[in-house]
Amino acid sequence: MGISKIVMGLDDKPMWASIERGAMELQKCGECGAFRYPPAPVCPHDLSADAEWTPVSGKGTILSWVVFHKQYFEDHVPPYNSVAIELEEGPIVVSQLRGDEPEGSWIGQRVELIYAEHAGRTQHFARWLKPEAA
Amino acid sequence: MANRNLAKVAAVVGVGQTDYRGDWARVRAGEKPRDSVGYAADAFKVALADSGLQKSDIDGLIVGPTTAYDRMGEVLGLDVKWGGQGDAMLSVIQAVMAINAGLCETVACVYGNNQRSAAVNYGGDNAAGGGNFLSYVYHAPWGFTSQGALYAMMFRRYMEESGLTSAELAEVSVAQRLHSSITPHALMQKRITVEDYLASNFVCEPLHLYDYCLVNDGGVAFIITTSDRAKTMGGRAVPIHGVGRHDLNSGATSMIPRLTNFYLPAQQAVAAQVFDMAGVGPEDMDCLQIYDSFSCHIPLALEGYGYCKVGEAGKFMRETGISVEKGLPVNTAGGHLSESYMQGWAHQVEAVRQVRGECGARQVPDCKFAHYSSDVAGKAVSIIYGK
Repeated sequence: MGISKIVMGLDDKPMWASIERGAMELQKCGECGAFRYPPAPVCPHDLSADAEWTPVSGKGTILSWVVFHKQYFEDHVPPYNSVAIELEEGPIVVSQLRGDEPEGSWIGQRVELIYAEHAGRTQHFARWLKPEAA
Repeated sequence: MANRNLAKVAAVVGVGQTDYRGDWARVRAGEKPRDSVGYAADAFKVALADSGLQKSDIDGLIVGPTTAYDRMGEVLGLDVKWGGQGDAMLSVIQAVMAINAGLCETVACVYGNNQRSAAVNYGGDNAAGGGNFLSYVYHAPWGFTSQGALYAMMFRRYMEESGLTSAELAEVSVAQRLHSSITPHALMQKRITVEDYLASNFVCEPLHLYDYCLVNDGGVAFIITTSDRAKTMGGRAVPIHGVGRHDLNSGATSMIPRLTNFYLPAQQAVAAQVFDMAGVGPEDMDCLQIYDSFSCHIPLALEGYGYCKVGEAGKFMRETGISVEKGLPVNTAGGHLSESYMQGWAHQVEAVRQVRGECGARQVPDCKFAHYSSDVAGKAVSIIYGK
Protein backbone atom coordinates (compact mmCIF):
# COMPACT_ATOMS: atom_id res chain seq x y z
CA MET A 1 0.00 0.00 0.00
CA GLY A 2 1.38 3.36 -0.97
CA ILE A 3 0.70 7.05 -0.47
CA SER A 4 -1.98 8.52 -2.72
CA LYS A 5 -0.46 10.32 -5.68
CA ILE A 6 -1.42 13.26 -7.86
CA VAL A 7 -1.83 12.52 -11.57
CA MET A 8 0.36 15.31 -12.90
CA GLY A 9 -0.17 15.57 -16.64
CA LEU A 10 1.22 18.52 -18.55
CA ASP A 11 -2.05 20.43 -18.27
CA ASP A 12 -2.47 19.65 -14.56
CA LYS A 13 0.62 21.60 -13.50
CA PRO A 14 -0.83 25.14 -13.49
CA MET A 15 -3.88 23.91 -11.56
CA TRP A 16 -1.81 22.29 -8.84
CA ALA A 17 0.39 25.39 -8.65
CA SER A 18 -2.76 27.43 -7.99
CA ILE A 19 -3.92 24.92 -5.36
CA GLU A 20 -0.52 25.30 -3.72
CA ARG A 21 -1.27 29.05 -3.53
CA GLY A 22 -4.62 28.28 -1.87
CA ALA A 23 -6.96 29.36 -4.69
CA MET A 24 -7.71 26.81 -7.39
CA GLU A 25 -7.70 28.03 -10.96
CA LEU A 26 -9.19 26.15 -13.90
CA GLN A 27 -9.00 26.82 -17.62
CA LYS A 28 -11.82 28.99 -18.96
CA CYS A 29 -12.30 28.60 -22.68
CA GLY A 30 -11.57 31.79 -24.62
CA GLU A 31 -14.10 30.78 -27.24
CA CYS A 32 -17.20 29.63 -25.33
CA GLY A 33 -16.37 30.56 -21.73
CA ALA A 34 -16.82 27.04 -20.34
CA PHE A 35 -14.61 25.89 -17.48
CA ARG A 36 -13.09 22.44 -17.89
CA TYR A 37 -11.94 19.76 -15.45
CA PRO A 38 -9.65 17.92 -15.46
CA PRO A 39 -7.40 20.39 -17.27
CA ALA A 40 -7.08 19.56 -20.96
CA PRO A 41 -5.29 20.83 -24.06
CA VAL A 42 -8.49 21.95 -25.81
CA CYS A 43 -12.12 22.74 -24.94
CA PRO A 44 -14.32 19.65 -25.49
CA HIS A 45 -17.11 21.86 -26.87
CA ASP A 46 -15.31 23.81 -29.59
CA LEU A 47 -11.77 22.35 -29.56
CA SER A 48 -10.34 25.81 -28.94
CA ALA A 49 -6.91 25.80 -27.28
CA ASP A 50 -7.42 29.42 -26.24
CA ALA A 51 -8.01 29.39 -22.49
CA GLU A 52 -7.27 31.52 -19.45
CA TRP A 53 -6.47 30.11 -16.03
CA THR A 54 -9.25 31.61 -13.91
CA PRO A 55 -9.87 31.31 -10.16
CA VAL A 56 -13.04 29.43 -9.20
CA SER A 57 -15.26 30.58 -6.34
CA GLY A 58 -14.79 27.23 -4.63
CA LYS A 59 -18.50 27.13 -3.82
CA GLY A 60 -20.64 24.28 -5.01
CA THR A 61 -23.26 21.63 -4.32
CA ILE A 62 -22.78 17.98 -3.36
CA LEU A 63 -24.03 15.68 -6.12
CA SER A 64 -23.15 12.45 -4.32
CA TRP A 65 -20.91 11.00 -1.63
CA VAL A 66 -19.43 7.73 -0.47
CA VAL A 67 -17.78 6.46 2.70
CA PHE A 68 -14.78 4.17 2.38
CA HIS A 69 -14.60 1.25 4.82
CA LYS A 70 -11.65 -0.43 3.12
CA GLN A 71 -8.16 1.04 3.14
CA TYR A 72 -6.45 1.63 -0.21
CA PHE A 73 -3.81 4.23 0.74
CA GLU A 74 -1.55 4.72 3.74
CA ASP A 75 -2.64 8.33 4.00
CA HIS A 76 -6.40 7.67 3.92
CA VAL A 77 -7.52 5.63 6.90
CA PRO A 78 -11.13 4.45 6.86
CA PRO A 79 -13.76 5.37 7.53
CA TYR A 80 -13.37 8.47 5.37
CA ASN A 81 -15.58 10.14 2.79
CA SER A 82 -15.29 11.36 -0.78
CA VAL A 83 -17.72 13.87 -2.21
CA ALA A 84 -18.55 14.84 -5.78
CA ILE A 85 -19.12 18.59 -5.91
CA GLU A 86 -20.64 20.54 -8.78
CA LEU A 87 -18.86 23.90 -8.63
CA GLU A 88 -20.75 27.10 -9.35
CA GLU A 89 -18.64 27.42 -12.49
CA GLY A 90 -19.91 24.05 -13.80
CA PRO A 91 -17.20 21.43 -13.40
CA ILE A 92 -17.62 18.45 -11.07
CA VAL A 93 -14.67 17.86 -8.74
CA VAL A 94 -14.03 15.15 -6.17
CA SER A 95 -12.95 16.28 -2.73
CA GLN A 96 -13.29 15.21 0.89
CA LEU A 97 -15.64 16.79 3.41
CA ARG A 98 -13.93 17.87 6.63
CA GLY A 99 -15.47 19.10 9.86
CA ASP A 100 -19.21 19.03 10.48
CA GLU A 101 -21.26 16.64 8.34
CA PRO A 102 -24.92 16.97 7.35
CA GLU A 103 -27.45 14.68 9.01
CA GLY A 104 -29.03 12.22 6.57
CA SER A 105 -28.44 12.76 2.88
CA TRP A 106 -25.57 14.98 1.83
CA ILE A 107 -26.91 15.41 -1.70
CA GLY A 108 -27.82 19.01 -2.48
CA GLN A 109 -25.90 20.42 0.49
CA ARG A 110 -23.76 23.48 -0.23
CA VAL A 111 -20.02 23.35 0.40
CA GLU A 112 -16.93 25.43 -0.23
CA LEU A 113 -13.39 24.35 -0.94
CA ILE A 114 -10.74 24.89 1.71
CA TYR A 115 -7.03 24.21 1.37
CA ALA A 116 -4.85 22.15 3.71
CA GLU A 117 -1.65 20.16 3.86
CA HIS A 118 -1.94 16.45 3.20
CA ALA A 119 0.80 13.87 2.60
CA GLY A 120 3.39 16.59 1.97
CA ARG A 121 1.33 18.61 -0.50
CA THR A 122 -1.39 21.23 -0.45
CA GLN A 123 -4.78 20.10 -1.74
CA HIS A 124 -8.37 21.13 -1.42
CA PHE A 125 -10.95 19.73 0.91
CA ALA A 126 -14.58 20.73 1.36
CA ARG A 127 -16.33 22.47 4.21
CA TRP A 128 -20.07 22.16 4.70
CA LEU A 129 -21.97 25.44 4.44
CA LYS A 130 -24.80 24.88 6.88
CA PRO A 131 -28.11 26.09 5.48
CA GLU A 132 -28.28 29.15 7.77
CA ALA A 133 -24.77 30.16 6.66
CA ALA A 134 -25.15 29.29 2.96
CA MET B 1 -34.66 1.75 -41.37
CA ALA B 2 -33.10 -0.78 -39.09
CA ASN B 3 -29.51 -1.74 -39.80
CA ARG B 4 -29.55 -5.50 -40.13
CA ASN B 5 -26.14 -5.86 -41.80
CA LEU B 6 -24.61 -7.93 -39.04
CA ALA B 7 -27.66 -9.94 -37.99
CA LYS B 8 -27.00 -13.66 -38.04
CA VAL B 9 -23.88 -13.45 -40.20
CA ALA B 10 -21.94 -15.41 -37.56
CA ALA B 11 -22.57 -17.94 -34.84
CA VAL B 12 -20.80 -19.25 -31.76
CA VAL B 13 -19.88 -22.87 -32.35
CA GLY B 14 -17.66 -23.63 -29.38
CA VAL B 15 -17.27 -22.42 -25.81
CA GLY B 16 -14.81 -23.33 -23.10
CA GLN B 17 -13.59 -22.32 -19.67
CA THR B 18 -11.04 -23.38 -17.10
CA ASP B 19 -11.75 -25.18 -13.83
CA TYR B 20 -12.71 -22.12 -11.79
CA ARG B 21 -13.31 -24.04 -8.57
CA GLY B 22 -10.19 -26.15 -8.78
CA ASP B 23 -7.99 -23.16 -9.51
CA TRP B 24 -9.72 -21.12 -6.80
CA ALA B 25 -8.81 -23.80 -4.24
CA ARG B 26 -5.24 -24.08 -5.49
CA VAL B 27 -4.68 -20.32 -5.54
CA ARG B 28 -6.08 -19.96 -2.03
CA ALA B 29 -3.66 -22.68 -0.95
CA GLY B 30 -0.84 -20.50 -2.22
CA GLU B 31 -0.22 -22.12 -5.61
CA LYS B 32 0.08 -20.35 -8.94
CA PRO B 33 -1.48 -22.91 -11.31
CA ARG B 34 -1.09 -20.88 -14.52
CA ASP B 35 -0.23 -17.45 -15.84
CA SER B 36 -2.81 -15.56 -17.91
CA VAL B 37 -1.62 -17.08 -21.19
CA GLY B 38 -1.79 -20.54 -19.63
CA TYR B 39 -5.39 -20.11 -18.49
CA ALA B 40 -6.34 -18.86 -21.95
CA ALA B 41 -4.65 -21.83 -23.59
CA ASP B 42 -6.53 -24.27 -21.34
CA ALA B 43 -9.83 -22.61 -22.19
CA PHE B 44 -9.05 -22.57 -25.91
CA LYS B 45 -8.49 -26.33 -25.93
CA VAL B 46 -11.89 -26.87 -24.31
CA ALA B 47 -13.64 -24.52 -26.73
CA LEU B 48 -11.99 -26.12 -29.75
CA ALA B 49 -13.04 -29.58 -28.60
CA ASP B 50 -16.56 -28.27 -27.93
CA SER B 51 -16.75 -26.95 -31.51
CA GLY B 52 -15.54 -30.17 -33.11
CA LEU B 53 -13.22 -28.10 -35.33
CA GLN B 54 -9.49 -28.60 -35.85
CA LYS B 55 -6.91 -26.00 -34.86
CA SER B 56 -6.12 -25.62 -38.54
CA ASP B 57 -9.69 -24.37 -39.10
CA ILE B 58 -8.97 -21.24 -37.04
CA ASP B 59 -8.02 -18.32 -39.29
CA GLY B 60 -8.75 -15.43 -36.93
CA LEU B 61 -7.54 -14.72 -33.38
CA ILE B 62 -8.76 -12.10 -30.92
CA VAL B 63 -7.23 -12.07 -27.45
CA GLY B 64 -8.41 -10.41 -24.26
CA PRO B 65 -6.77 -7.33 -22.75
CA THR B 66 -4.85 -9.29 -20.11
CA THR B 67 -2.63 -11.25 -22.50
CA ALA B 68 -0.25 -9.99 -25.17
CA TYR B 69 -1.55 -10.79 -28.65
CA ASP B 70 1.82 -11.85 -30.03
CA ARG B 71 2.61 -14.28 -27.22
CA MET B 72 -0.90 -15.71 -27.14
CA GLY B 73 -0.74 -16.51 -30.85
CA GLU B 74 2.72 -18.00 -30.43
CA VAL B 75 1.70 -20.23 -27.54
CA LEU B 76 -1.35 -21.51 -29.41
CA GLY B 77 0.60 -21.86 -32.65
CA LEU B 78 -1.97 -19.88 -34.58
CA ASP B 79 -0.98 -18.09 -37.80
CA VAL B 80 -4.12 -16.28 -38.91
CA LYS B 81 -5.62 -14.02 -41.55
CA TRP B 82 -7.07 -11.62 -39.00
CA GLY B 83 -6.03 -10.74 -35.45
CA GLY B 84 -6.84 -8.29 -32.73
CA GLN B 85 -7.33 -7.57 -29.06
CA GLY B 86 -10.42 -6.57 -27.14
CA ASP B 87 -12.54 -7.02 -24.06
CA ALA B 88 -15.19 -9.75 -24.06
CA MET B 89 -17.87 -7.79 -25.84
CA LEU B 90 -15.57 -6.14 -28.35
CA SER B 91 -14.01 -9.52 -29.17
CA VAL B 92 -17.39 -10.86 -30.18
CA ILE B 93 -18.24 -7.76 -32.21
CA GLN B 94 -14.83 -7.62 -33.89
CA ALA B 95 -15.14 -11.28 -34.81
CA VAL B 96 -18.56 -10.69 -36.34
CA MET B 97 -17.28 -7.66 -38.26
CA ALA B 98 -14.19 -9.46 -39.57
CA ILE B 99 -16.26 -12.44 -40.66
CA ASN B 100 -18.85 -10.18 -42.29
CA ALA B 101 -16.10 -8.35 -44.16
CA GLY B 102 -14.75 -11.64 -45.47
CA LEU B 103 -11.38 -11.13 -43.81
CA CYS B 104 -11.53 -14.53 -42.15
CA GLU B 105 -13.97 -17.33 -41.53
CA THR B 106 -13.45 -18.83 -38.09
CA VAL B 107 -12.27 -16.73 -35.14
CA ALA B 108 -10.98 -17.91 -31.79
CA CYS B 109 -11.58 -15.41 -28.98
CA VAL B 110 -9.40 -16.26 -25.98
CA TYR B 111 -9.00 -14.77 -22.52
CA GLY B 112 -6.95 -15.67 -19.48
CA ASN B 113 -6.43 -13.81 -16.23
CA ASN B 114 -4.25 -14.63 -13.23
CA GLN B 115 -5.56 -11.60 -11.33
CA ARG B 116 -5.93 -13.47 -8.02
CA SER B 117 -2.63 -15.34 -7.92
CA ALA B 118 -0.85 -12.25 -9.26
CA ALA B 119 -2.57 -10.07 -6.62
CA VAL B 120 -3.87 -7.47 -9.09
CA ASN B 121 -5.19 -4.37 -7.31
CA TYR B 122 -8.33 -2.68 -8.57
CA GLY B 123 -7.87 0.30 -6.27
CA GLY B 124 -5.13 2.24 -4.54
CA ASP B 125 -1.61 2.74 -5.73
CA ASN B 126 -1.20 1.45 -9.32
CA ALA B 127 -4.89 0.60 -9.68
CA ALA B 128 -5.40 -1.73 -12.63
CA GLY B 129 -6.84 -0.01 -15.69
CA GLY B 130 -5.60 3.43 -14.66
CA GLY B 131 -3.62 3.74 -17.87
CA ASN B 132 -6.81 3.44 -19.91
CA PHE B 133 -9.35 5.09 -17.63
CA LEU B 134 -8.22 8.34 -16.01
CA SER B 135 -11.18 8.26 -13.61
CA TYR B 136 -9.67 5.18 -11.94
CA VAL B 137 -6.67 7.16 -10.69
CA TYR B 138 -7.31 10.89 -11.02
CA HIS B 139 -9.11 11.41 -7.70
CA ALA B 140 -6.59 9.44 -5.61
CA PRO B 141 -5.40 12.51 -3.62
CA TRP B 142 -8.81 12.49 -1.90
CA GLY B 143 -8.68 8.73 -1.34
CA PHE B 144 -11.29 8.21 -4.05
CA THR B 145 -10.11 5.10 -5.83
CA SER B 146 -11.39 1.78 -7.19
CA GLN B 147 -14.03 1.03 -9.77
CA GLY B 148 -16.34 0.05 -6.93
CA ALA B 149 -16.14 3.56 -5.51
CA LEU B 150 -17.01 5.09 -8.89
CA TYR B 151 -20.15 2.96 -9.02
CA ALA B 152 -20.89 3.62 -5.34
CA MET B 153 -20.79 7.37 -6.03
CA MET B 154 -23.04 6.93 -9.06
CA PHE B 155 -25.47 4.60 -7.35
CA ARG B 156 -25.84 6.68 -4.18
CA ARG B 157 -27.30 9.43 -6.32
CA TYR B 158 -29.46 6.98 -8.27
CA MET B 159 -30.84 5.61 -4.98
CA GLU B 160 -31.70 9.11 -3.81
CA GLU B 161 -33.44 9.99 -7.08
CA SER B 162 -35.30 6.71 -7.59
CA GLY B 163 -35.95 5.68 -3.99
CA LEU B 164 -34.39 2.26 -4.57
CA THR B 165 -33.46 0.77 -1.18
CA SER B 166 -30.49 -1.32 -0.06
CA ALA B 167 -32.89 -4.22 0.51
CA GLU B 168 -33.99 -3.94 -3.13
CA LEU B 169 -30.40 -3.85 -4.35
CA ALA B 170 -29.83 -7.00 -2.28
CA GLU B 171 -32.15 -8.83 -4.69
CA VAL B 172 -29.26 -8.91 -7.17
CA SER B 173 -26.79 -10.66 -4.89
CA VAL B 174 -29.46 -12.98 -3.52
CA ALA B 175 -30.69 -14.05 -7.00
CA GLN B 176 -27.19 -14.54 -8.34
CA ARG B 177 -26.19 -16.64 -5.32
CA LEU B 178 -29.26 -18.76 -5.93
CA HIS B 179 -28.03 -19.25 -9.49
CA SER B 180 -24.45 -20.04 -8.53
CA SER B 181 -25.68 -22.52 -5.92
CA ILE B 182 -27.21 -24.62 -8.73
CA THR B 183 -24.26 -24.12 -11.10
CA PRO B 184 -21.70 -26.87 -10.44
CA HIS B 185 -18.72 -24.92 -11.81
CA ALA B 186 -19.51 -21.67 -9.93
CA LEU B 187 -17.29 -20.53 -7.08
CA MET B 188 -20.04 -19.60 -4.59
CA GLN B 189 -22.21 -22.59 -3.74
CA LYS B 190 -24.05 -21.22 -0.70
CA ARG B 191 -27.19 -19.13 -0.95
CA ILE B 192 -27.56 -15.86 0.93
CA THR B 193 -30.58 -13.90 2.12
CA VAL B 194 -31.45 -10.21 2.04
CA GLU B 195 -30.68 -10.19 5.78
CA ASP B 196 -27.20 -11.64 5.14
CA TYR B 197 -26.63 -8.91 2.59
CA LEU B 198 -27.75 -6.11 4.89
CA ALA B 199 -25.58 -7.45 7.71
CA SER B 200 -22.47 -7.64 5.53
CA ASN B 201 -19.70 -5.05 5.70
CA PHE B 202 -19.60 -2.00 3.53
CA VAL B 203 -16.63 -1.74 1.21
CA CYS B 204 -17.48 1.68 -0.17
CA GLU B 205 -20.79 2.80 1.29
CA PRO B 206 -23.53 2.47 0.05
CA LEU B 207 -22.10 -0.73 -1.56
CA HIS B 208 -21.66 -3.84 0.59
CA LEU B 209 -19.21 -6.69 0.18
CA TYR B 210 -21.89 -8.72 -1.62
CA ASP B 211 -22.27 -5.98 -4.23
CA TYR B 212 -18.69 -6.57 -5.39
CA CYS B 213 -17.42 -9.06 -7.92
CA LEU B 214 -15.12 -11.89 -6.99
CA VAL B 215 -11.45 -11.75 -7.94
CA ASN B 216 -10.28 -15.15 -9.20
CA ASP B 217 -8.05 -16.75 -11.80
CA GLY B 218 -9.34 -18.38 -14.94
CA GLY B 219 -9.75 -18.43 -18.67
CA VAL B 220 -12.55 -18.44 -21.22
CA ALA B 221 -12.62 -19.00 -24.97
CA PHE B 222 -15.16 -19.19 -27.74
CA ILE B 223 -15.10 -20.00 -31.43
CA ILE B 224 -17.15 -17.91 -33.86
CA THR B 225 -17.65 -18.80 -37.52
CA THR B 226 -19.87 -17.91 -40.44
CA SER B 227 -23.54 -18.80 -40.18
CA ASP B 228 -23.22 -20.83 -43.38
CA ARG B 229 -20.47 -22.96 -41.94
CA ALA B 230 -22.23 -23.20 -38.57
CA LYS B 231 -25.26 -24.70 -40.29
CA THR B 232 -23.13 -27.64 -41.44
CA MET B 233 -21.91 -28.35 -37.91
CA GLY B 234 -24.96 -29.87 -36.26
CA GLY B 235 -27.52 -28.19 -34.05
CA ARG B 236 -25.41 -26.61 -31.33
CA ALA B 237 -24.42 -23.40 -33.11
CA VAL B 238 -25.85 -20.22 -31.58
CA PRO B 239 -26.27 -17.35 -34.05
CA ILE B 240 -25.48 -13.79 -33.05
CA HIS B 241 -28.64 -11.86 -33.90
CA GLY B 242 -27.56 -8.36 -33.04
CA VAL B 243 -24.73 -6.22 -31.72
CA GLY B 244 -24.58 -2.60 -30.64
CA ARG B 245 -22.42 -0.07 -28.88
CA HIS B 246 -22.74 3.51 -27.69
CA ASP B 247 -20.15 5.39 -25.63
CA LEU B 248 -20.47 8.36 -23.32
CA ASN B 249 -16.92 9.71 -23.12
CA SER B 250 -17.63 13.38 -22.44
CA GLY B 251 -16.99 14.24 -18.80
CA ALA B 252 -15.90 10.68 -18.01
CA THR B 253 -13.23 11.59 -15.45
CA SER B 254 -15.38 14.11 -13.60
CA MET B 255 -18.21 11.55 -13.69
CA ILE B 256 -20.69 13.78 -15.52
CA PRO B 257 -22.58 10.90 -17.23
CA ARG B 258 -22.35 8.74 -14.10
CA LEU B 259 -23.88 11.42 -11.89
CA THR B 260 -26.29 13.15 -14.23
CA ASN B 261 -27.84 10.34 -16.29
CA PHE B 262 -26.48 7.02 -14.98
CA TYR B 263 -25.47 6.06 -18.59
CA LEU B 264 -29.16 5.78 -19.45
CA PRO B 265 -28.90 7.53 -22.87
CA ALA B 266 -26.10 5.15 -23.92
CA GLN B 267 -28.09 2.09 -22.97
CA GLN B 268 -31.22 3.39 -24.68
CA ALA B 269 -29.27 4.08 -27.87
CA VAL B 270 -27.78 0.59 -27.82
CA ALA B 271 -31.19 -0.93 -27.11
CA ALA B 272 -32.58 0.68 -30.27
CA GLN B 273 -29.61 -0.49 -32.32
CA VAL B 274 -29.39 -4.07 -31.08
CA PHE B 275 -33.10 -4.84 -30.94
CA ASP B 276 -33.66 -3.34 -34.38
CA MET B 277 -30.80 -5.36 -35.81
CA ALA B 278 -32.12 -8.57 -34.26
CA GLY B 279 -35.73 -7.79 -35.16
CA VAL B 280 -36.89 -8.51 -31.61
CA GLY B 281 -37.61 -6.57 -28.45
CA PRO B 282 -37.03 -6.88 -24.71
CA GLU B 283 -40.27 -8.85 -24.39
CA ASP B 284 -38.68 -11.61 -26.52
CA MET B 285 -35.66 -12.12 -24.25
CA ASP B 286 -35.72 -15.23 -22.09
CA CYS B 287 -32.73 -14.35 -19.93
CA LEU B 288 -30.23 -11.54 -19.44
CA GLN B 289 -26.51 -11.76 -18.89
CA ILE B 290 -25.40 -8.39 -17.53
CA TYR B 291 -21.79 -7.37 -16.87
CA ASP B 292 -21.81 -7.15 -13.09
CA SER B 293 -18.53 -5.98 -11.67
CA PHE B 294 -20.98 -4.53 -9.14
CA SER B 295 -24.60 -5.41 -8.42
CA CYS B 296 -25.83 -1.95 -9.35
CA HIS B 297 -25.21 -2.62 -13.04
CA ILE B 298 -28.33 -4.79 -13.03
CA PRO B 299 -31.02 -2.24 -12.07
CA LEU B 300 -29.47 0.32 -14.42
CA ALA B 301 -29.51 -2.14 -17.33
CA LEU B 302 -33.09 -3.23 -16.59
CA GLU B 303 -34.13 0.38 -17.03
CA GLY B 304 -31.79 1.21 -19.87
CA TYR B 305 -32.92 -1.65 -22.08
CA GLY B 306 -36.61 -1.22 -21.36
CA TYR B 307 -37.26 -4.23 -19.14
CA CYS B 308 -38.92 -1.89 -16.68
CA LYS B 309 -39.74 1.82 -16.52
CA VAL B 310 -36.99 4.29 -15.67
CA GLY B 311 -36.82 4.69 -11.90
CA GLU B 312 -38.69 1.44 -11.18
CA ALA B 313 -35.91 -1.15 -11.19
CA GLY B 314 -36.07 -1.59 -7.41
CA LYS B 315 -39.74 -2.44 -7.55
CA PHE B 316 -39.19 -4.69 -10.58
CA MET B 317 -36.46 -6.70 -8.85
CA ARG B 318 -38.53 -7.09 -5.68
CA GLU B 319 -41.93 -7.76 -7.19
CA THR B 320 -41.32 -9.34 -10.61
CA GLY B 321 -38.01 -10.97 -9.73
CA ILE B 322 -34.72 -11.58 -11.52
CA SER B 323 -34.08 -15.28 -10.87
CA VAL B 324 -34.78 -18.61 -12.52
CA GLU B 325 -37.39 -19.13 -9.80
CA LYS B 326 -39.28 -15.89 -10.36
CA GLY B 327 -39.49 -13.29 -13.11
CA LEU B 328 -36.81 -12.48 -15.68
CA PRO B 329 -33.64 -14.51 -14.99
CA VAL B 330 -30.47 -12.37 -14.83
CA ASN B 331 -26.95 -13.80 -14.72
CA THR B 332 -28.14 -17.37 -14.61
CA ALA B 333 -24.79 -18.92 -13.61
CA GLY B 334 -24.16 -16.37 -10.85
CA GLY B 335 -22.29 -13.71 -12.78
CA HIS B 336 -19.21 -11.91 -11.57
CA LEU B 337 -20.62 -11.75 -8.07
CA SER B 338 -20.90 -15.51 -7.60
CA GLU B 339 -19.83 -17.61 -10.61
CA SER B 340 -16.43 -16.27 -11.68
CA TYR B 341 -15.00 -12.84 -12.48
CA MET B 342 -14.03 -13.35 -16.09
CA GLN B 343 -14.68 -9.72 -17.09
CA GLY B 344 -17.70 -10.47 -19.25
CA TRP B 345 -16.22 -13.50 -21.04
CA ALA B 346 -18.08 -16.11 -18.98
CA HIS B 347 -21.33 -14.20 -19.58
CA GLN B 348 -21.03 -14.94 -23.32
CA VAL B 349 -20.53 -18.63 -22.56
CA GLU B 350 -23.56 -18.72 -20.29
CA ALA B 351 -25.72 -16.97 -22.92
CA VAL B 352 -24.67 -19.58 -25.50
CA ARG B 353 -25.34 -22.47 -23.13
CA GLN B 354 -28.78 -21.15 -22.20
CA VAL B 355 -29.77 -20.93 -25.88
CA ARG B 356 -28.36 -24.42 -26.45
CA GLY B 357 -30.43 -25.65 -23.51
CA GLU B 358 -27.60 -27.40 -21.69
CA CYS B 359 -27.70 -25.62 -18.32
CA GLY B 360 -29.21 -28.33 -16.14
CA ALA B 361 -30.85 -27.11 -12.92
CA ARG B 362 -30.46 -23.46 -13.88
CA GLN B 363 -31.77 -23.86 -17.44
CA VAL B 364 -34.33 -21.26 -18.44
CA PRO B 365 -37.20 -23.28 -20.01
CA ASP B 366 -37.41 -22.99 -23.80
CA CYS B 367 -34.74 -20.27 -23.97
CA LYS B 368 -34.85 -18.76 -27.46
CA PHE B 369 -32.98 -15.51 -26.87
CA ALA B 370 -30.33 -14.39 -24.39
CA HIS B 371 -29.38 -10.72 -24.14
CA TYR B 372 -25.92 -9.68 -23.01
CA SER B 373 -25.21 -6.11 -21.94
CA SER B 374 -22.44 -4.14 -20.28
CA ASP B 375 -21.83 -0.52 -19.36
CA VAL B 376 -18.21 -0.49 -18.25
CA ALA B 377 -17.19 3.13 -17.65
CA GLY B 378 -19.87 4.47 -19.98
CA LYS B 379 -19.20 2.13 -22.88
CA ALA B 380 -22.58 0.48 -23.37
CA VAL B 381 -22.47 -2.71 -25.41
CA SER B 382 -25.11 -5.31 -26.22
CA ILE B 383 -25.15 -8.66 -27.96
CA ILE B 384 -28.22 -10.80 -28.64
CA TYR B 385 -27.76 -14.54 -28.97
CA GLY B 386 -30.65 -16.67 -30.17
CA LYS B 387 -31.85 -19.83 -31.80
